[in-house]
Amino acid sequence: MITTNKAVLLVGTSPLYAELNHLMVERGYQVLTLAEAMAEPELIELAVEVNSVDLQAKKRQVRELDDLLPPNVPIITTSLAITATEVASWTQHPERVCGFGTLVPLVERELIEIAPALQTELDTIQATEGFFQSLGKATETVNDEVGLVFPRILTLIINEATFTLMEKAATATDIDIAMKKGTNYPYGPLEWADRIGLDEIFAISRGLQRDLAEERYRTAPLLRKLVLAGRVGVRSGQGFYTYEEKVGVEA
Amino acid sequence: MSIKTVGVIGAGTMGAGIALVCARKGHQVMLLDANQAVLDKALVYLESILTKDVEKSKISEQEMAETLELVHLVSEIEQLADCDIVIEAVPERLDLKKSIFSQLSVICREDALLLTNTSSISITEIAGGLSHPERILGFHFFNPAPVMPLVEVIRGKKSSEENVEVAYRFAQELGKVPVLVTDTPGFIVNRIARPYYNEALRIMGDHVAGVEQIDRIMKLAGGFKMGPFELQDMIGIDINFATTKSIYTDFFHEGRFKPSRIQQQMVQSGSLGRKTGEGFYDYNQ
Repeated sequence: MITTNKAVLLVGTSPLYAELNHLMVERGYQVLTLAEAMAEPELIELAVEVNSVDLQAKKRQVRELDDLLPPNVPIITTSLAITATEVASWTQHPERVCGFGTLVPLVERELIEIAPALQTELDTIQATEGFFQSLGKATETVNDEVGLVFPRILTLIINEATFTLMEKAATATDIDIAMKKGTNYPYGPLEWADRIGLDEIFAISRGLQRDLAEERYRTAPLLRKLVLAGRVGVRSGQGFYTYEEKVGVEA
Repeated sequence: MSIKTVGVIGAGTMGAGIALVCARKGHQVMLLDANQAVLDKALVYLESILTKDVEKSKISEQEMAETLELVHLVSEIEQLADCDIVIEAVPERLDLKKSIFSQLSVICREDALLLTNTSSISITEIAGGLSHPERILGFHFFNPAPVMPLVEVIRGKKSSEENVEVAYRFAQELGKVPVLVTDTPGFIVNRIARPYYNEALRIMGDHVAGVEQIDRIMKLAGGFKMGPFELQDMIGIDINFATTKSIYTDFFHEGRFKPSRIQQQMVQSGSLGRKTGEGFYDYNQ
């Protein structure tokens, strides 16, 4: 590992945690947990927070970061299930909060979207762009809305595929084959959801429904039920498919 | 594989492409169109594709000649009386399709399979009221038919399981990848792909991101081959808008499929994409 003395505080429970951790270490960052950072908060140059499913936990952790770190340290937060503006509103120093959004696996993401909150200062935006570029990713800065662009569009595609499955219009396998062979999608929407985590997709869908409050963003009941049953995809061994023997749910 | 006589109705790009797919697998093809000019154009199209196959040494000149000999150009629907399978590929108008299937119901043998290549009309409605609706199914190719591997086999309310199986096997015999879907608006692909266009339009309309930004993000962050706006320009914005409107109507105005006013205005203004030189991007430079 190259020692740069650049210390980044990383917190959260999203699957992004492990992948960001790995990528940052690979790029020479010193990655600290909240407990480690408490000993020497002045070392921290930047904090990244990646909770999407449990928004109470997100609020608690963002406030901990805000209390712990000097006001000039940027806090970069996932704005997948909630806007960056709302996350910033929880803090004493909202100008140092900036949103971003991407989905695992990071190795397949050449570009990461950044969404400044209404309160975000230019310095914070530049630090956020610089941070992701230092990880070898291109960036695109968009306006702040739940799910940004790619995660939002993919979530709606997965949601519609889930409705199609729920209605038994087609099997999971046929839905995935159709989208790959009929319109060149890189993955079928249901196998894609299983890899990302159904809980992460559900969090985005729920956030869109909560903030935009339209029928358009109604979550497919089957998606919500699979998450409640703990069938969140590859990570739990079962989602739309089971991973001992890849068989489509006929539920 | 049993060699079948396949009737293809409508010799436009789709019909001609389907005829080629069938002839390449050795089936006798009766390609029907009332318009002789359309038939002539279809023949030129078949010859041009097969000539490229010869140039790339995929087939010999003799194989090209044999394939072309299998395609018979016809102009009267009665000439399809002996077909084992008929695939209809005329423009997307219910009245036109109903009229064709009601004639086929009389002309064709009772055991002939009658397939429609519709992308948006209900199979159940096409078959409704006809004798032997159990043999009427959807058989949806993707454009261009000789290249795209998928066929959606669509089970209408009265289609029989036996005929669904025959159609499924026929798609496999043609070298295609079949998927099964019940008769629902947009079937699988056109339904699930709606948000790719519609939500991109919404994101653009709400000024979350611009056209070029969204295309770049979907390609570099999402791994899609084309962005939603360049894809609409390629498909034709009018075609894309018509598909969305049809699915929205057929789902009784379910909010998830609500069409975009931005897209409507593009159509109203005549900016339809590549074919008019201007769409979300300008192709005139």
